[in-house]
Amino acid sequence: MKPIKKIKIVVAGPFAAGKTQFINTVSEIKTVKTERRTQAVGERSVKDYTTVAMDFGKIRIDDEHELYLFGTPGQSRFDFMWEILGEGALGIIILVDSTDPSTFHEARKIINFFQSRFPVPMVVGANKQDLPNAWSPEDVRIALDIDEEEGIPVIPVSAIDKESVKSALLTLLNLIKEELLR
Amino acid sequence: MALTGDLSTFNFVDIFQVLAKDKRSGILIVEWQDMTIAYYVKEGEIVFARPVDRVFRVYAERDFDTLIDKLRISKENLPKTIERFLINKLGSKEGVFSFTPGFIRYNSDIPVNYPIEKLIMIASRTLTPEEVERKISDELLTFEKSQDYMEKVRKAELTKEEEKVLTLVDGEKSVMDIRRESGLDNLTVDRALYGLLALSAIKRKRKEKKQKPSITLELLAKIIERIKEL
Repeated sequence: MKPIKKIKIVVAGPFAAGKTQFINTVSEIKTVKTERRTQAVGERSVKDYTTVAMDFGKIRIDDEHELYLFGTPGQSRFDFMWEILGEGALGIIILVDSTDPSTFHEARKIINFFQSRFPVPMVVGANKQDLPNAWSPEDVRIALDIDEEEGIPVIPVSAIDKESVKSALLTLLNLIKEELLR
Repeated sequence: MALTGDLSTFNFVDIFQVLAKDKRSGILIVEWQDMTIAYYVKEGEIVFARPVDRVFRVYAERDFDTLIDKLRISKENLPKTIERFLINKLGSKEGVFSFTPGFIRYNSDIPVNYPIEKLIMIASRTLTPEEVERKISDELLTFEKSQDYMEKVRKAELTKEEEKVLTLVDGEKSVMDIRRESGLDNLTVDRALYGLLALSAIKRKRKEKKQKPSITLELLAKIIERIKEL
């Protein structure tokens, strides 16, 4: 039996941006989670559990290849994990909670982190577009200071919707294709 | 779509940046503990400010000229409302904001004494070290001037320090270099960079070198097809 080759895509973003849900929505296996109870008071009011090492989902491509989706922990105190998970990634999806502008600056820092260390194609998913007070992807782009020349598309995402998650992945894959053809 | 948020995490510089970028029109309402103020925005410029006792009153009049007639305010006096109800609030770190695009109709010219560029820079001078760290997060960051930076800073009325910082932004020098070469304290440099970034007078220097994806086109096409099938 041939060994399976792994292709890696990283899903990063601030705390509670919806990364675990995003992976869960398309993964063919039950997402492997490394969650612990939230400790910080501010975090506990947002959700009870948070990713501390990584989330892991998988999509079988063919007999020889599997696409791995790695979700990073959101808090910057775990940024050593970002470094580990970013290594060898084909592309990166940064998820942002469009309803919570207080996380936009953190999202920009995460973009800077990955841009400086892993200059691979990147897409920003303006998540939670299904919620009424979500900022539009265009407003999120401006708030994140993403210059059009940066080549980072900001697209609407609803991580609970499979078609929306597929669309985000396809946007990233097409960006990778453009890089290959360049 | 309304934009809502909290000044403690999304300050006036950030709000103005969003309003200015696409020259939005609408009403920005900021609720503080002691008062609520409605700011009227025309094509990215704040043209009028007024305190309101109830937020719904803001939505009672859609025509701007009629509104200021009713309030007995002449157009010449509109800038005074900005001075009174905005300038001294720009350093405020608490409060909840919401911006409703559209709604109000502006049928005539309105004087703009405080261009949004100027307001952005005034607000940036009040930023705390914690706030500037959100954007100037790494002293190795490099910025470059935008093509139309002269146009952007023309109305901003930069201070001498800010001009000095702008001069040093050349696409080569890092934040660390600019701090050192300017001879200014770090906070002054970082505030200037934050403001100039919000003005779109400067932007992050794009890394020229992109890593070539380590995958064949054939395999990539296969992945794309597989994702579509999910």
